[in-house]
Amino acid sequence: MVASSNPISDKTVIKNLGFCGFGMSSNTSAVDVKDGRIVRIRPLHYDDNYTREELKMWSLEKDGQVFDPKMKSLIPPLSLAYKMRTYSPNRVPYPLIRVDWDPNGERNPQNRGESKYRRISWDEATKIIADEIKRIHETYGPYSVYCQGEGHGESKTYNGTHGNQIALLNLVGECTVQSRQPDSWEGWVWGAKHVWGMEPLGQNKYQNGVFRDITENGDAVLFWGADPETTPWGWGGQLPSRMCYWFNDIGVKSIFICPDVNYASAVHADKWIPVLPNTDAALQLAIAHVWFSEGLYEKEYLESHAIGYDWFESYVKGFIDGIEKTPKWAEAKCGVKSYHIKALARYWAKHNVSIAHCNGGGMVRSPFSHEPARLEVCLLGMQAVGKPGCHQFKFIEWQLFGFDSCSPVPRSETYTLLMAAYHGVHGDGLGSSFLVKTKLPEAILTKEKVEWMSHGPCAFPAEDQFIPFEFPMNGGKGIHMIWSDAPCWSTCWNGGFKMEDALRDDSIEFVLVQHPWMENDTVFADIILPSATGLELSDIANDNMSGQVTLLYLEDQAVELQGEAISDYEVVCEVAKALEKHGGIYENLYNRYVGDLSKEEVIRKGFETSGVPADFTYDDLKEKKFWASKVRDGWESEPAGLYNFYMEPEKYPLETPSGKLEYYSTRLAEHFPDDKIRGPYPQWIEEGDGHQERIGSKRAEDYPYLLVSNHPRWRVHAQHDDIPWLREIETCKVVGPDGYAYEPLWINPLDAKKHGIEDGDIVSIYNERGSVLGGARITERVMPGALYQDHGAHIDAIKAGTGGLDRGGANNLICPSPTSSKNAPGEVTNGFLVGVEKADVFELARQYPEQFNREYSSEVGLIADAYIEKGV
Amino acid sequence: MAKVFVIDVAHCNGCHNCQVACKDEHCDQPWLPIAEAQPLTGQYWCKVNQKERGQVPWVRVSYEPTMCNHCADAPCMKTAPEAVYRREDGLVIVDPAKAKGLKGLVDSCPIGAIYYNEALDIPQKCTGCAHLLDNGWEVPRCVDACPTDALLYVEESEVDLSEAVVLDGVAGLGGKVYYLNYPKRFIAGTVVDIAADEVVIGTTVELKSASGDLVATLTSDDLGDFKFDQVEKACYVVEVGGKSFEADVTQRDLSLGDVDVSAA
Repeated sequence: MVASSNPISDKTVIKNLGFCGFGMSSNTSAVDVKDGRIVRIRPLHYDDNYTREELKMWSLEKDGQVFDPKMKSLIPPLSLAYKMRTYSPNRVPYPLIRVDWDPNGERNPQNRGESKYRRISWDEATKIIADEIKRIHETYGPYSVYCQGEGHGESKTYNGTHGNQIALLNLVGECTVQSRQPDSWEGWVWGAKHVWGMEPLGQNKYQNGVFRDITENGDAVLFWGADPETTPWGWGGQLPSRMCYWFNDIGVKSIFICPDVNYASAVHADKWIPVLPNTDAALQLAIAHVWFSEGLYEKEYLESHAIGYDWFESYVKGFIDGIEKTPKWAEAKCGVKSYHIKALARYWAKHNVSIAHCNGGGMVRSPFSHEPARLEVCLLGMQAVGKPGCHQFKFIEWQLFGFDSCSPVPRSETYTLLMAAYHGVHGDGLGSSFLVKTKLPEAILTKEKVEWMSHGPCAFPAEDQFIPFEFPMNGGKGIHMIWSDAPCWSTCWNGGFKMEDALRDDSIEFVLVQHPWMENDTVFADIILPSATGLELSDIANDNMSGQVTLLYLEDQAVELQGEAISDYEVVCEVAKALEKHGGIYENLYNRYVGDLSKEEVIRKGFETSGVPADFTYDDLKEKKFWASKVRDGWESEPAGLYNFYMEPEKYPLETPSGKLEYYSTRLAEHFPDDKIRGPYPQWIEEGDGHQERIGSKRAEDYPYLLVSNHPRWRVHAQHDDIPWLREIETCKVVGPDGYAYEPLWINPLDAKKHGIEDGDIVSIYNERGSVLGGARITERVMPGALYQDHGAHIDAIKAGTGGLDRGGANNLICPSPTSSKNAPGEVTNGFLVGVEKADVFELARQYPEQFNREYSSEVGLIADAYIEKGV
Repeated sequence: MAKVFVIDVAHCNGCHNCQVACKDEHCDQPWLPIAEAQPLTGQYWCKVNQKERGQVPWVRVSYEPTMCNHCADAPCMKTAPEAVYRREDGLVIVDPAKAKGLKGLVDSCPIGAIYYNEALDIPQKCTGCAHLLDNGWEVPRCVDACPTDALLYVEESEVDLSEAVVLDGVAGLGGKVYYLNYPKRFIAGTVVDIAADEVVIGTTVELKSASGDLVATLTSDDLGDFKFDQVEKACYVVEVGGKSFEADVTQRDLSLGDVDVSAA
């Protein structure tokens, strides 16, 4: 029989294949293994262990239709295909040292990113690392070791990934911690928070019941830059897709406001309003103008729920700067016809309208992102946010930070935490010395004091934005070594080419990277240590963010460790062992780092403090493989969104000083009286604080297009770019005449014609910061005047550093370096100016023969051998 | 008593889970005697075709998962009866051992669902994941991986197929793959009075055939918009505000953009 002669697997393990990190998992998957190989990755079926009734699984009904959240995990293709990441030919195979980096001689920092590597043993590598750390400590002090240990990697718990090294160095005099500013939420944090509190992220954290309420009371949802068919994939899965179809099926109008037909707009939009990148503020002000001039707003609500809106009204009507923010005024800036603006404004005022996000899209990561973010809150307030059917909600990060108030879909009885088993960075992770991430290149390159406001991370309250900091801190002597487990600064932050300059600066004596793959900033390291992917490790994981039910499970090891890889946590353990040989402050370091508990004991402790009810024991977990929470009772009737504030603002105040919506922020006025860019009330900002990124600016004469660089459809940031089955999807790559798979660049036919660009041509997008290549897709999916290219493509540096050229198409390399504005140290990675022209790849290949001949596989892109010396 | 694939195009979000799950199952992994290993890339036993439709600002993308139709009257079986067989559940299987060298099978398939593996010298295609069905699975990988129920594998008797269509190439051959909400054409626009700088709400918009017959009537909505969806491929005339606009959707969907009905 087929069945007996062809077993389809010999074991199944459960794995989280999410990419959010920090001890929080997602995308729970069943992984089948046969003969030591992963044979399939598939959704986990909850009904393997539970009935729908046992879980009290939720559903909604409307007009005879039923919304079913499904009894299986709704994983994205990024998870389905993930074995290809584990088996990638781009894995770091063994410890590597840069061939022209000699710790006892010439270090050649200027060659980082270009030099190749040779194999060394783990013992050799960890000895050099220990010697270097000791030397840096003795020469400059502990704060000269800069640790990048956060975000943008696999989700693991015991095996850490994010910031294991910080905990180690904290035992030997600390280090300087890279302080990751709120990259996902910039505009909300630096802007919206000053209008409506919503600590700490500035987005509406009262989202409970919203999906049900819109089902019952909503007329329309504005998807403002939101792409629920892309952004949630790495963090929560595909329930958002079902939710969007539900809105379609029950007749809730889906209006997409964005420069591009993003992947959700492509299948869900009832209407698309194309708006030029980062001109949302003009559109929003014009909507407010219509409402003020036609009396189409909830005046009584504002009287009782808001302060200072007279300032806002005065600004909108032009009483302050002499410019009336009419729809015609906005049309010239945002590209939306005034009659469409008026129609949208009146429709919105007449109907129950909510705004949906997947964190905010390009709008919250563009220059001056605090302005559109807080303008949105001002508009929501004018239509009585909290009224049935009128909310702001998002399709991602439900119950983030354990907040019980922020899930638009019904919550589970239990929210789980595994912090007791988590080895990565805890809390904000900042010690006595830290540097906000957006200022890193400047701090290295200027060698002078850099200053910024706030600690940086997303977890701090609004008041923290009024505290000034400077680097070097606490007598530190600047950065001289970098230790990274998140080598994707250049592909994910603001001004990557400048970051490459910093990585090649003389002052940086040693760059150490631990990572599974030879990608992005990894190839700027002096020593690379191979770390393992989650599929090679055992661990414990929890999944709170699917929107279905909370899960918790033990992750068995699926396959053997690949090459010489070990877990990120063990990488740090190996360095500890080498360091303790130096004695002194390093004495007994390994034991001090790992503590007294075994791995099994740590995982068990994680489970026992996770919040899982006591009647489900650790032995139960081992036997049943996964635990699922019941859905919480009472979700059918709980107040939706900000309903309580809507009804009783005094009893349910906001977290602003006044407890109300603050159209005029007294805090900003008090702390930044001279700030013309982020003033006390929101404005349209043309340029300033280092940014000249408007189509009306002088720079636009040379760089006339605004770039949309969304979260990528077929990656999570810079992850997954080597998966063959994703790369061969039509919208993932464009194969050039040289056989190389380029990152797609969407260009409207009208714009393509101006430049003689045809579909499939290889093009360069550029500004004075440098150029990146792309494969042209002539498409109606992007409006004229805007170009679209996903961010995070695998860097393939033809020429590194400022003015450089990247073949991979990693457009963060040409982002602006200045932050959101002077007093808001957010990243600017979207909505900036570029030019576009055809590129001749064969001429470039003649010019840069070495770079164009790197080891390359058409199926996976660059492979590890591209940077490893042959025969060594 | 036979299961069929039912693909609801209106609920396919284009995530490609079906295509990727198929590859995860079959690439570099033989499931003999039913299937040899599929090459790492280049074959698509399940393939999601995308169609970009319309023009700014009326643009949609339709995704159509495609796979072997497992035809009742299968041209591949006729071409190579010795190498292609039908199981009791109706799945048509190209026997990897008996089909060696049979390149002609590739061209026998009217919808291009058969590929040739040059390295193994065999034709290959969707097996319906028969090796999984034989081991207790109720549905193939592509269906299990679908997050939106756009792809189902269900008893034919349990589903209403009265509106379903099959791909043109396999029309009349019977088989197992049906499409619901298969896209036709749309014509959309916004009625505006540019002289007044306003959209026009609540006005009648008529769709007429080239010969003047009324095909459909809409009223422009609160945003001034109208959209004639799922119309047949043909030349039409859109009449609104006393004006006529040609709408040729024989080759493509059409955005009329802002339709100006200003008196001037």
